[in-house]
Amino acid sequence: MALYVLPLSAIFSEHFTRMEDAYYRDLIYLFAFCMAGLGFALGPFVLVHLLASRKTRNTANKTQQAIECGIDPIGDAWIRYSAAYYLYALVFVAFAVDVLFLVPVALVYNRVQGFVIRDFVELVIFVAILSLVIVYAWKKGVFEWKRKQTPPNS
Amino acid sequence: MEAQTNTAQLVKDCSPIVQFAVLEDMLSLGRANSLWPLTFGLACCAIEMMAAGAARFDLARFGAEVFRPSPRQADVMIVAGTINKKMAPAVKTLYDQMPEPKWVIAMGNCAISGGPFVFPGQYAVVEGVEKLFPVDIYIPGCPPRPEALIEGILKLEEKLTGKRRWPVPPPQ
Repeated sequence: MALYVLPLSAIFSEHFTRMEDAYYRDLIYLFAFCMAGLGFALGPFVLVHLLASRKTRNTANKTQQAIECGIDPIGDAWIRYSAAYYLYALVFVAFAVDVLFLVPVALVYNRVQGFVIRDFVELVIFVAILSLVIVYAWKKGVFEWKRKQTPPNS
Repeated sequence: MEAQTNTAQLVKDCSPIVQFAVLEDMLSLGRANSLWPLTFGLACCAIEMMAAGAARFDLARFGAEVFRPSPRQADVMIVAGTINKKMAPAVKTLYDQMPEPKWVIAMGNCAISGGPFVFPGQYAVVEGVEKLFPVDIYIPGCPPRPEALIEGILKLEEKLTGKRRWPVPPPQ
């Protein structure tokens, strides 16, 4: 856009026409590459549509059935699961993180000589704080594996 | 005869919009040399079919060893065994789910005509798979030997490409 503030005489100069050529050439390249990309993406769909079999022979109208074992599916795949397991899994995540942070600590444990007791106490504090997860989950009754009783359609 | 022309019409209805003769020839050559059967056994003929796929008879020599567990990936249904009336809907569903082009081999007497289960008043067995959908190759036997199944597959290849890929072995 800086081209427009050039003096009028510059418009007819060689320098300007060359720049303008380059500008339009770049645009044409851009357009060509966009079209090629589009053709590359959409072309196979068209080709396949033209070259593939139009339909398949059908005896019981089951071509579109998702299940491929021959037997009609019973019920829907979109059923509701109990959340009990997921709560349990969350507790597991807490301890996975626990182990994750203990590994680097174990690597540098006692690297500074003379602070073994301090290191150990810090580790115990860390594990103790995370162990509160168990107490909390225990209190909440996660380990009882009880399904929450909810009235239907509430 | 009328049933045959009907089948031909059905196959024609499924054909692609654009067809090139050379491309079709090449495709049928490729299809014939790598037929993918559906893993699908109904009765004792399936044992012979497994033997045909295993090491001694080695169906892989003829490119037809890739038994597919899903009908959507298969192009040959080898109906190996007796079709009960109770099983027939499942067989038809599997046939429906195979994409075109697809072929059916009726292996053994049960799949051809009901075999030994045909008698007056029988109520349980479909008397031949052709009662359900068109069949391309019939392999007689009770059960046919694995060589017979291999020969049936070679016959199907012949049907696809128009010429036989392997020599006929001399009778011993």
